[in-house]
Amino acid sequence: MESLVYIALFSPLVGSLFAALYGMSPKRLVTGVVTSLLLFVSFVASVMLLQHVVNVGPVRVELMDWIVAGDMRIPFGFAVDQVTAVMMTVVTLVSTVVHVYSNGYMEHDKGFNRFFSYLSAFVFSMLVLVMSDNFLGLFIGWEGVGVCSWLLIGFWYHKEDVGRDVNPSISPSWAANEAFIMNRIADLGMLVGIFLIYWNIGSLQYEEVFRAVPNLDHGLLVLIGIMLFIGAMGKSAQFPLHTWLADAMEGPTPVSALIHAATMVTAGVYLVIRANPLYSQIPEVSYFIAVLGTFVAIFAASMALVNRDLKRIIAYSTLSQLGYMFAAAGLGAYWVALFHLAAHAFFKALLFLGAGNVMHAMDDELDIFKMGGLKKQMRWTFLYMGLASLALAGIWPFAGFFSKDTILEAAFNEHSYGIWFVLWLTAGLTAFYSFRQVFLTFLSDERYKQYGFHPHEVQKYVLWAMAPLAVLAVVFGWWKESFMEFVTQLLPAYEMSEHTHHMVWILIVVTMAIALGGIAVAYVLYAKRLKRSEKIEQSLPYRVLSNQYYIPILYEKVFSKPYAELSDIAWKEIDLQVVDATVDGIAHVVEESGDGARKMQTGNLSDYLKWMAAGAILLAVLAVFAALKH
Amino acid sequence: MENILSVLIFFPLLAALLGIVVSKETIRVYGITVAAIEFLLSLWLWFAFDTANGGFQFIEYIPLVSDFGINYYLGVDGISLFIVVMATLMTLVGIISLGEVKDLKNLIITLLMLEVTMIGVFVSLDAIVFYLFWEFSLVPMLYIIGAWGGEKRLYAAVKFFLYTFAGSLIMLVGMLYVAYVYQSVAGVWSFALTDWYALVLPISVQKWLFWAFFLGFAIKVPMFPFHTWLPYAHGQAPTVGSVILAAVLLKMGTYGFVRFSLPMFPDAAVAYIVPVGVISIIMIIYTAMVAYAQEDMKQVIAYSSISHMGVIVLGTFAMNAEGIAGSVFLMLSHGIVSGALFLLVGVIYDRRHTKLMSEFGGLASIMPKYAVIFGIMLMASVGLPLTIGFVGEYLSLAGFFKVAPVMTLLGGFSIILGAVYMLSLYKKSFFGPVTNEANKKLFDLDKRELTALLPLVAIVVWLGVYPKPVLGPIDTSAKALVSFMHEKAQTPEAKAVIHVSKSTKEAR
Amino acid sequence: MIGLTHYLVLSAILFSLGIVGVIRRKNLLMLFFATEIMLNAANVAFAAISSYYHDLSGQMFAFFIVAIAASEVAVGLGLLILLYKKYGTLDLDNFTMLKG
Repeated sequence: MESLVYIALFSPLVGSLFAALYGMSPKRLVTGVVTSLLLFVSFVASVMLLQHVVNVGPVRVELMDWIVAGDMRIPFGFAVDQVTAVMMTVVTLVSTVVHVYSNGYMEHDKGFNRFFSYLSAFVFSMLVLVMSDNFLGLFIGWEGVGVCSWLLIGFWYHKEDVGRDVNPSISPSWAANEAFIMNRIADLGMLVGIFLIYWNIGSLQYEEVFRAVPNLDHGLLVLIGIMLFIGAMGKSAQFPLHTWLADAMEGPTPVSALIHAATMVTAGVYLVIRANPLYSQIPEVSYFIAVLGTFVAIFAASMALVNRDLKRIIAYSTLSQLGYMFAAAGLGAYWVALFHLAAHAFFKALLFLGAGNVMHAMDDELDIFKMGGLKKQMRWTFLYMGLASLALAGIWPFAGFFSKDTILEAAFNEHSYGIWFVLWLTAGLTAFYSFRQVFLTFLSDERYKQYGFHPHEVQKYVLWAMAPLAVLAVVFGWWKESFMEFVTQLLPAYEMSEHTHHMVWILIVVTMAIALGGIAVAYVLYAKRLKRSEKIEQSLPYRVLSNQYYIPILYEKVFSKPYAELSDIAWKEIDLQVVDATVDGIAHVVEESGDGARKMQTGNLSDYLKWMAAGAILLAVLAVFAALKH
Repeated sequence: MENILSVLIFFPLLAALLGIVVSKETIRVYGITVAAIEFLLSLWLWFAFDTANGGFQFIEYIPLVSDFGINYYLGVDGISLFIVVMATLMTLVGIISLGEVKDLKNLIITLLMLEVTMIGVFVSLDAIVFYLFWEFSLVPMLYIIGAWGGEKRLYAAVKFFLYTFAGSLIMLVGMLYVAYVYQSVAGVWSFALTDWYALVLPISVQKWLFWAFFLGFAIKVPMFPFHTWLPYAHGQAPTVGSVILAAVLLKMGTYGFVRFSLPMFPDAAVAYIVPVGVISIIMIIYTAMVAYAQEDMKQVIAYSSISHMGVIVLGTFAMNAEGIAGSVFLMLSHGIVSGALFLLVGVIYDRRHTKLMSEFGGLASIMPKYAVIFGIMLMASVGLPLTIGFVGEYLSLAGFFKVAPVMTLLGGFSIILGAVYMLSLYKKSFFGPVTNEANKKLFDLDKRELTALLPLVAIVVWLGVYPKPVLGPIDTSAKALVSFMHEKAQTPEAKAVIHVSKSTKEAR
Repeated sequence: MIGLTHYLVLSAILFSLGIVGVIRRKNLLMLFFATEIMLNAANVAFAAISSYYHDLSGQMFAFFIVAIAASEVAVGLGLLILLYKKYGTLDLDNFTMLKG
């Protein structure tokens, strides 16, 4: 069993190192094939481990000591329990699909080999993150995915910076830096949380920490919970550290599918789920997490309503769904959050990959206003994206229905009617914007013809690679019961009260109603043809939403520019003119006094004799006084 | 051999003197060979070192001026061992990296002389011998900056010399006073550190002495506001000068804190955690901001050096083994990473004779190997886990968190601000389209540069993944130091703050 | 009667005359004269005190001083003549080559 753990964990690393050997060479197909194969091996190992955990129980291995100093002993240790097994399977499955897909998508890219190296390295980091049995191991994976996403978002680093009106993300390298720095801000919070844990509990191993949690002071637990959540906020792009997610769309689409739909951004949710013994003790913090998640859900959905960029719409929907996951976790329904995480991974990755197909067909065009009627040329992509959108909108019997509905049930169960209402509303918005995008891209009028595009479907093997995701997007929800039984061996079981059981059907109907309503509105507005309205597009609400509530510009004006200016002042005014000038000033004083004293050396004997005489007389006087004193 | 330390100190001296008769054609090979032998000797020292023992080993003792207790007294422990190894490694790497330099022979001889003094500082256990080597190290560096430096080299060299010299003089006064106190208590003169450790000084005396020594070390580290000599020194020094300056000479200051201030003045050290912490935090945040404002690539790295030294000082004053071990490890990691970064800046300077980032842009498309190595060192500098930079930074901050949580939070800003200026540097220089014609035909790293850089990359990754062989002995000595401080502390406050690890074995 | 005090006062007056001469005189030769006056003032003091205390060491010392003053003058005058030959003047204000 131990060897399965190592195989699952290290195969992607081996693939990454292999591809790195060709990093600076022109495209070699073998890199794409080998890395995809190794990912598949990892996936098989993960499934076998999942089997083992289902039938027998968790698996623990310890590779070696990493950091040993003082009383701190941190090993490279890995534990595959129920939660980890689920995460591993999801991650490796989606990663394998994305790797195969990328063979087609990145076919003509010069950095083909480099891409696969980075992609596999990313999967390795993510596996370290979910498989570690201690907080610092998690942090290794945490920072690792941060670096890999920096490399991948900024993959086309040769593109230059442009103004926000041309590209709201300015450039891939700019977006990459933004992602890395924003994550770092959150990482500081997480580090402080780790320090608090170590000095109060004495260990960073999950088992020991969670055993000690019930005996700790409540205030301390609140602080730790907040600090760890700040870390989660960065990775999962919760408000206010959310702007990097949309800008991360500058990376190649497979990157978006893997990192920003299925894996990296879910790391924050994973952390909260993993630390559930802690968060169960501090309901006020959990409730705040739920409220923030709910806010993010509707906040992101609102921005997706008016967006024209194909990938950004999907990015906002990811952000919104992350909000749902945090809402579930915050309400104590941890297994529901995990369930939605998995379901979302499948259909969101499918959506992104479908978007990639569209972009490929449309010479990387992203504006859905320039598309339309593509279902004729791209039947399968239309089918996939349609299925994924149905799942996303939470329509029965697709996967999203089971997960989202349970979250809404949980909100209702907790008597958090405010949360329920906002999430319910967001479900409607979600359905609306998802299908707005589908209709404007695949149905409605064929606007692409006037721009001279010649779209065509992608290669057959790419479509076959996407198939597993499509299947899962449909059937995954049907396994909700067995999923719940499995993960609640570790996670707290969340029981709905009797009251809710009666209400369940009403809730389901109400939710389906608004979801179908959203689709219907989108159909009416967009299915036939795109009607643009100057009045609406110039109106304030529209402009606020399409400019992301002007938050990126706000950040630039309040943080980036002042920091740059303060730094400039620190250098030119303070360091050069105050600190250094003081040093040079002291030197100057010494020099000037020397210069002054120099005047005594006239070279004139007569002057020297005068000085001698004066000195001698002074000494004599002093001697007389000294003698008189005695 | 028991005299390995003397061999390590004086072998480069012999080699330097012999080097005078070596011809200009073979001096490069000669220099590399000598430095390599020295490095292998230091590895031998590591190999022969007993890692379970936290005290001093390979002790050598020759009386010099016995009436005043000045002796040739050497020894290494886990703390100084690796700094010695790193010093020899960086000298070797520095000499390998030398390209087309005028008066190459003089430069190599000077570097070897510098190596003598560097090793002497870290292994001497007699205060006067320590001071001698400390001051002697200024002379070769003065010469390197002054003879091979840039336009304002004389100003930079003289500033460097006088500034550090002035601080050291104050430290000398402190040392003499300690010797005087020792003499009044024990009846004999002694400058041996081990004798001084046994001396229990009254608190009021400790406080004054702490600041006297602090001034000497603080200027060397360099700590705010005594740091302004460093940007000039780095800006004007040749590449190899910057490498050695950043990698080894700066560590003398922080090493001094661990070797002198902590064991001799434990109560004062605890009492002044707050002011020292505040200065360190200003160092970290302020110099990170100044680094961000720079237009010259080398100056960014110079200021980032100061910023990281701030974290090292925080770790030193953590009063627990985690922090102190972390700060020593960070000294090593900073030495290697900064050394590598300065070498990398030197690479592009050799080609374009400018260090202004506005002259670059898009270099990753033209010099991919260079971009990769620079990227790895960048990530090590910002403390990415699984690189050498993370272990030390994490332990230092974790250790300091115990004594001052809020200050640690502020100090932790180094991970954010470090990312800001380094990524900004990388983006300006490597990303984006190639805008400057002059950059289009640049050659990637050649064999000489790769030979100098690849070992450093290997160490960065190896010690990031498996720091134990190095961290182990450091930790043992750090634990011994902390338990020693705890015993020696007089005020109850100091005894409460100094945190002895539960896993401490029996100390010296 | 004429006592020790009178001699010491005489010596002091002579000495101050010498000092004034040293300070004010610009001509090197005059400087030598003033120095001689100072030396002789010291001699007077030595001789007077020696006689008062009936201790001959003072007068012996006075002889030493006379001898040394003579040799010093000899050398000094020799140098002075050379100086005059080279520069044509003995005015101190012209000799500022050691200005620092």
